[in-house]
Amino acid sequence: MIDKVKKELEIRFPLLKLVREQHNYLHIKVDKAAAADAVLTAKTSLGFTTLQLISAVDRIENGAFQLTWILENYDEQEILLISAYFPRKNCVVPSLSQIWPAASAFERELFEMFGISFPGNPREGEDFLLEGWKDMPPMRRDFETEEYARRTFGERQPREHTDPRQYIGDVVGEWNTPMGRNREEEK
Amino acid sequence: MYCNQPPKKPGDKKEVLQKITNMARANSLWVTAYGTGCGSIELRPLGTSRFDMERFGIAMRPTPRQADVLIISGYLATKTLKRVIRVYEQIQDPKYIMALGSCTINGGMYFDSYNTLNVLDKYLPVDVYVMGCMPRPEAIIDGFSLLMKKIKEGRAVGWKHYRENLDYYRENQKQIIKNWDLPDYNW
Repeated sequence: MIDKVKKELEIRFPLLKLVREQHNYLHIKVDKAAAADAVLTAKTSLGFTTLQLISAVDRIENGAFQLTWILENYDEQEILLISAYFPRKNCVVPSLSQIWPAASAFERELFEMFGISFPGNPREGEDFLLEGWKDMPPMRRDFETEEYARRTFGERQPREHTDPRQYIGDVVGEWNTPMGRNREEEK
Repeated sequence: MYCNQPPKKPGDKKEVLQKITNMARANSLWVTAYGTGCGSIELRPLGTSRFDMERFGIAMRPTPRQADVLIISGYLATKTLKRVIRVYEQIQDPKYIMALGSCTINGGMYFDSYNTLNVLDKYLPVDVYVMGCMPRPEAIIDGFSLLMKKIKEGRAVGWKHYRENLDYYRENQKQIIKNWDLPDYNW
């Protein structure tokens, strides 16, 4: 069945590249201008009515974000992945929240985590997970996570001694048991 | 059989009363049913028949207003910290905090995360830390017995410390919670 889907898509989008194909799984890559069109076609005429996920990968070496729409055809148990590369600087991607209401949440998350803008999403810019975040979006690969964590949250100073008696002794009181005392006397 | 020591004179009336109160408090610890991380999974076997924490007088309560103990179970995100502070301040005095896992002690495996805090006692007064990743129910029972011991000896005074050093805690909390909108208190 996935051959039918592939042929149909190849007729409509002659520039697509095949990434991976299995008996019920198809991953294609299209041009960024045709991405929204391809997703819409898959929904309206090929039966991929469920949007499972919109994922983004930061391809910093290509200067691009790879966006992937993961669609599912429940009746045929098929999965279709449509990928496209969008330039990394001032990344703008067409929103699909008018077609799938569920896309709104994914798009808000991507805006927060990668800084990808989805004009047309009515809830864009609302807080999703990071409340009041003012720094660079944290999932970008040029974001220095460890440095940020050290600067913001600090770290506990390590102990100077490795002998537990030095720091645990009177706090717990367990070291003053007869057994502990005997051991000290032996020394 | 005979006593080899003369009977002890009861101390100050207030002191005796305090001792009785502490004993009563230590033997009826009620826990807020609020899980912040993976550690709340370990509290379920603790509550049910195999480990059965009710035999120590420890019970789960659905609301902070009926509880004495708040368990920070595992890693704490900044978004969750805001809710935890809200819950902690709604608990009636006296109140105790028990922190589970290495994440609350020094960040654990999330030490370089952009959104989980590393040193919990900068933001909330912790009475007992239980180490482990995650601690088994036996370890949590051990932590509870340590907390009971501290309460009986009158050393679990984190809530007093929080009240007296509110400025210090508030300053640290406001550093990492970007959209601060919690109410100000004047006890």
